[in-house]
Amino acid sequence: MIIITRPNVTDAEIDHIRERIEAAGMRTHLSRGVQRTIIGCIGDEALLAELPLRSLPGVESVTPVLKPYKLASREFAADRTVVRVGGREATAAFGGTAITVAAGPCSVEGRDMLERTAKAVLAAGGTVLRGGAFKPRTSPYAFQGLGREALALLAEVRASTGLPVVTEVMDTRHVDLIAEHADMLQVGARNMQNFSLLAELGRVRRPVLLKRGISATVKELLMAAEYIMSNGNSEVVLCERGIRTYETATRNTLDVAAIPVLKRETHLPVIVDPSHAGGDAALVAPLSCAAIAAGADGLIVEVHPDPERALSDGDQSLTPEAFAAMMRQLEGFAVAAGRSLSSASARAAA
Amino acid sequence: MSADGTSDAAAELARCREEIERIDDEIVRLLARRVALGKRTAALKRAAGLPILDPTREAAVIRRITAAARDAGIAPEPIREVFWQIVGMSRHAQEESAP
Repeated sequence: MIIITRPNVTDAEIDHIRERIEAAGMRTHLSRGVQRTIIGCIGDEALLAELPLRSLPGVESVTPVLKPYKLASREFAADRTVVRVGGREATAAFGGTAITVAAGPCSVEGRDMLERTAKAVLAAGGTVLRGGAFKPRTSPYAFQGLGREALALLAEVRASTGLPVVTEVMDTRHVDLIAEHADMLQVGARNMQNFSLLAELGRVRRPVLLKRGISATVKELLMAAEYIMSNGNSEVVLCERGIRTYETATRNTLDVAAIPVLKRETHLPVIVDPSHAGGDAALVAPLSCAAIAAGADGLIVEVHPDPERALSDGDQSLTPEAFAAMMRQLEGFAVAAGRSLSSASARAAA
Repeated sequence: MSADGTSDAAAELARCREEIERIDDEIVRLLARRVALGKRTAALKRAAGLPILDPTREAAVIRRITAAARDAGIAPEPIREVFWQIVGMSRHAQEESAP
């Protein structure tokens, strides 16, 4: 249930409304927007049946939220959420007017390749560096990532380039370690419904990039976000990365329609991973254009200085040159969609 | 900045951190006192036949602290979150205290 307050509502009135709801055994969530303030009620709504909410001072309207996700629902927030990533020296934002592009290697394979990739990402207009340290591989015999060593390298390259870092966390035991080194924690598609991991991420003060599971519905993705949010972390960015269908010509099928559906259902930013969706470097640029046209707030793209020799996902990684060419192409698509492409150079000039 | 300026800043940073640690210690001592008082109220509630969980009282505590945070010039929402944790911690201690 959400309570929309009158435009001239006072702090004391808001405090009173929240006290009445909390005294009934529910929790409240406040969202102050430019136009209006919303008080979201979380818990068993039957507890509110006896309360004369509509007649409390400052209340304009009371609306039930019928969706199973509450904190993630569009209704719960007065405005769209902008998720800021990084600290003072390295910042990027998902969900503003600008489209934010995160890029980097699937796996961190060493210092040299990571530095080269990061510089190329920065030069081409990427504003977040991605890089896998702990890798969820289908085969136990495949390269599993450099782990702690990769985290240290990511932190070094973050310091030298000013790019905030996003990396995947697979294990609840690694959450604190990764939060120390990275600016944003990624939940991979395979872990989207790892509820103990999601709950743990609710307790850290780092934004989370939550990828849609390969056979998860939009509703399940939003419920996964709700897990993180209900445990205390509202900084969640959703990522469509392709779902499994009967089609074999592509690795997965990018669910373009999920982008506007998610934007309708939630206030959280929505980005797209065209690399995993297509599984083919040649598809990355066209899928990125489609994502921007459909309203995505950003992209996460795999870039490798030498895809042929990549230890993982070489087929879908762009060379730095191909990434730069794609970024130039996307600029026009962003403008056509009423957006812009955020870049570190533009940020520095601002 | 001169070398002296840098070392002055480093010394000031160290002083600030020491002060923060003293405050943290004080917060922990106060929380221990708060939990102890909670256990005392638990005994009184049991003697009076009242339930341990009292949502009306918890909501009043949170409302009071929201206004206090606002008066102190700090953002009330994070303070509310912190106090829900504290209220929860106190409630658990009450529930677990021997009758």
